[in-house]
Amino acid sequence: MAKVQVLNVAVLDNPSRFGNPFQFEITFECMEDLPEDLEWKIIYVGSAESEEYDQTLDSVLVGPVPAGRHMFVFQADAPNTGLIPESDAVGVTVALITCTYRGQEFIRIGYYVNNEYTDPELRENPPIKPDYGQLQRNILASNPRVTRFHINWEGCAEKMEDSENVDPAPNSMLPPSCLPGKAPPIGLLPDNSMDCL
Amino acid sequence: MKLLKPSWVSHNGKPIFSVDIHPDGTKFATGGQGEDSGKVVIWNMAPVLREEDEKNMNIPKMLCQMDNHLACVNCVRWSNTGLYLASGGDDKLVMVWKRAAFIGPSTVFGSSSKLANVEQWRCVTILRNHTGDVMDVAWSPHDVWLASCSVDNTIVIWNARKFPEIVASLKGHTGLVKGLTWDPVGKYIASQADDHSLKVWRTMDWQQETNITKPFNECGGTTHVLRLSWSPDGQYLVSAHAMNNSGPTAQIIERDGWKTNMDFVGHRKAVTVVKFNPKIFKKKQRNGSSPKPSCPYCCCAVGSKDRSLSVWLTSLKRPLVVIHDLFDKSIMDISWTLNGLGILVCSMDGTVAYLNFSQDELGDPLNEDEKNAIHQNIYGKSLAITTEAQLSTTIIENPEMLKYQQERQRVEQANHRMTHEAQAHKLTSVVNGESLEDIRKNLLKKQVETRTADGRRRITPLCIAQLDTGILLPLSSVSGATAQASSLNTTATKSNLLLTTSTKMEPMKALDSRFTERSKVMPGVTISMVSMEPPVYLEVENEVSAVSGAKLSQLRCSREGREWDTLLPSRVLTAAGSSDVVAVACADRMLSVFSACGRRLLPAILLPAPMSALHCSGFYVMALTACATLSVWDVQKQSAVVKNESLQTILSGTECTVSQSLLTQQGVPVIGLSNGKSYCFNSSLETWNLIADKQDSLVQCADFKNCISSQDAPVSQGPLALTQGHNLNAGRLASRLSSTPHHLQHGMTLVFLENQLASALTLRSSTEYHYWLLIYARFLVTEGSDYRLRELCKDLLGPVHKSASSAWEPTTLGLRKRDLLRELLPVIGQNLRFQRLFTEYQDQLELLGNK
Repeated sequence: MAKVQVLNVAVLDNPSRFGNPFQFEITFECMEDLPEDLEWKIIYVGSAESEEYDQTLDSVLVGPVPAGRHMFVFQADAPNTGLIPESDAVGVTVALITCTYRGQEFIRIGYYVNNEYTDPELRENPPIKPDYGQLQRNILASNPRVTRFHINWEGCAEKMEDSENVDPAPNSMLPPSCLPGKAPPIGLLPDNSMDCL
Repeated sequence: MKLLKPSWVSHNGKPIFSVDIHPDGTKFATGGQGEDSGKVVIWNMAPVLREEDEKNMNIPKMLCQMDNHLACVNCVRWSNTGLYLASGGDDKLVMVWKRAAFIGPSTVFGSSSKLANVEQWRCVTILRNHTGDVMDVAWSPHDVWLASCSVDNTIVIWNARKFPEIVASLKGHTGLVKGLTWDPVGKYIASQADDHSLKVWRTMDWQQETNITKPFNECGGTTHVLRLSWSPDGQYLVSAHAMNNSGPTAQIIERDGWKTNMDFVGHRKAVTVVKFNPKIFKKKQRNGSSPKPSCPYCCCAVGSKDRSLSVWLTSLKRPLVVIHDLFDKSIMDISWTLNGLGILVCSMDGTVAYLNFSQDELGDPLNEDEKNAIHQNIYGKSLAITTEAQLSTTIIENPEMLKYQQERQRVEQANHRMTHEAQAHKLTSVVNGESLEDIRKNLLKKQVETRTADGRRRITPLCIAQLDTGILLPLSSVSGATAQASSLNTTATKSNLLLTTSTKMEPMKALDSRFTERSKVMPGVTISMVSMEPPVYLEVENEVSAVSGAKLSQLRCSREGREWDTLLPSRVLTAAGSSDVVAVACADRMLSVFSACGRRLLPAILLPAPMSALHCSGFYVMALTACATLSVWDVQKQSAVVKNESLQTILSGTECTVSQSLLTQQGVPVIGLSNGKSYCFNSSLETWNLIADKQDSLVQCADFKNCISSQDAPVSQGPLALTQGHNLNAGRLASRLSSTPHHLQHGMTLVFLENQLASALTLRSSTEYHYWLLIYARFLVTEGSDYRLRELCKDLLGPVHKSASSAWEPTTLGLRKRDLLRELLPVIGQNLRFQRLFTEYQDQLELLGNK
């Protein structure tokens, strides 16, 4: 069973200017003391068209994590505008928070992000070259999309002594959508993801 | 009799293997198969009992569902107190659940409201020992023990007051053990297995009392479960599947001589489950008839593979009622309500049936006094068994001792009360005098962020509630929930605005895949800012300006809003700072040290080699050079603490590298190696001391959980905890090694605790020393290590009379030893065995105090 449950993610400083850092206040609960750190990442999807433009805004280790309920604020700098295709700067994209344990991702929290000009004039006639100084970032905080993955919490080193707790076929637990770049058709989400919109 | 099949009680059509009604009758649990895991569901009883409640949409039907079991759940059982729920499944695990009372109704983060759990039940212990599917679990009377049986042919008795301690492992069955029942008097436990036997074990020595095979000789191993049951008066034990003249029966076994003369006959296929009504009945007194004394009797429900249910009274020769075709598949489990009038039955077909009897049908239930009187009559004692009988009769000689014993009881009662209050959701939203709102406001500023050796950010999360206790840090999840709700409200309104203003906010399928796919490894980004202890920020800019060919570097420091900067003549390699000093190492092998306000404290120090790692702590500066030498200076005293000490000693003979280095507040340098070992340099002995070893199996086997008082916050900030950070899981293996002999584990724990104590002492970390000392003392007290405890006390007390020759120091790490001893006394006072020791040291301390 998953040793770490994310209880809540509060989006701080939202909406805010495009250049402001992202701030997520994450509350999670841990069943038992974790020997390793958790690794959290914020990924900004630069373009819906290709993963090539995904930017990892920052990654941070969180630990030590004893059993209990914990919270922290994950702050990361705004995306590097130079890496975002100009055509995708304005409009809807996605920011992802992922958490991995022993190199295995077990939760992925996604938010729609809307970037638009606050000035009605600019909104009507957006400049060809995006004016990031005028852009407002709005994270659709009320509607997180959470996907959970089964992972081997005991790690590889302990496989021998912990054989009774290891899934009989860990590979079969991987979501079928693991192949990169293929969007699962709506309604055909992987069985083990508790995904909902 | 009324019969109801609540269609809403289902595991989406998957089989339901077990059902159990909560002792207070307000809810019940089912266990069985989930989607791709085992499933335990807690249901509200009210909609089953009353039709209007079933129709009322405001009354929840499902209270909580847990899919933590990795495979099918075979058994769910409430403890007699109703505080815990135990579940056992095909994943070989037994999980013990407890209601997290301080969490109000809340939704699962990121899920739709449909999945909301009205009650929060959290797994508090996972019991791992079985090597095969767990088939049945049973709580002993008074919840002293929890028994589980498995297809690994064993029965494990767990100490229910000290999970995951194993009291005994009962071996003797040669087939899959499929059912368990405790003798209500607490003297025996009975088990039935596929090896054509039913065994009765004594709880006194956990040896076999009797082995009954005759009625089972003809049985095949065709049933999924063999849930047997013991009558509430303790006189009869009724087995599941038995055979008599090639007909399936439920065998009645008399307690007196384990005779097998009677059985329940009539089912056409094997009996899977027998369940006695918890009440003892007597005949209903009819008006007019003379009250003639009638013999009390018991009531028993029998479920079978033939899909039918029969209910028997021991006073009748024929069944009271037989219900055929209640289900499409075999009956798997039966549970009576505590009042003895209702019964829930579950089946492999995934449905549940509820039967309700009237008192006219069953008789008048005896009240508890009458039931106890029967027990008293038969067994010479009532059901109130005592577990620590010997200890409780010990005479307490010392009034102080009495005080501590009483205090302990009071604390226990208080804890009990607090639990109740917690359940009543009366908790205030305050943690350590700080409201959750305050914490949240300052979280970003307050949280501790450090850099790992490879330059990555590492955040120590703020612990807002501990598990298991559930009462200590009530971190008002209630308020958490409301806070969450309010923040959600505001965001909801904003998002509405967003939706109205946005024209492009259509679901973008191209983006959807991003939500569900795991990310690939991506290169981390580099950050130019060096941050340390929260309020200090150092910023370095190399080659800011070139003055007549020489390139200058700039160091900027900001602390609580105040800033200063200074220029350096060479490229800066690394910088570090503490609340008192800032140190900068440059490419020209120069180390400069500045005060907190930017004054240069020393002329530049020329290092023998380029800097590899630099740390500051208080007035101490630690330098690790590229040629593997270590130096520590005390800037305030202008003296060397460690002088160019080579790391050769700890690195020689290994392939490893330095993975971590740190400097404690007391100026003790610590070096962590890639092989998991950490050393500190002891400047007074001039030795390298091993303080942490990740490979050390002792650490993982040490089991001292019970000695951690809920009052002490876990020390996660001290240098020992930092170096052992990854080892915090001491005792992680303990539960799995429970089969190792107790004395071995005891030894391991002792070694581990003594190591911790010595390491904390060497690191001069007084808080950690204090923390481990208390745990060590508690361990010695609970384990009864007389000599060690005595020596410890002796050392803390020191010589009573001052003498010039004694080398005894009255303080250690700034803690007064006698104060420590004073703190230990209440701990010692908790074990009556040590009352002489307690008295001895208490008297001496008092004597010294008076001087």
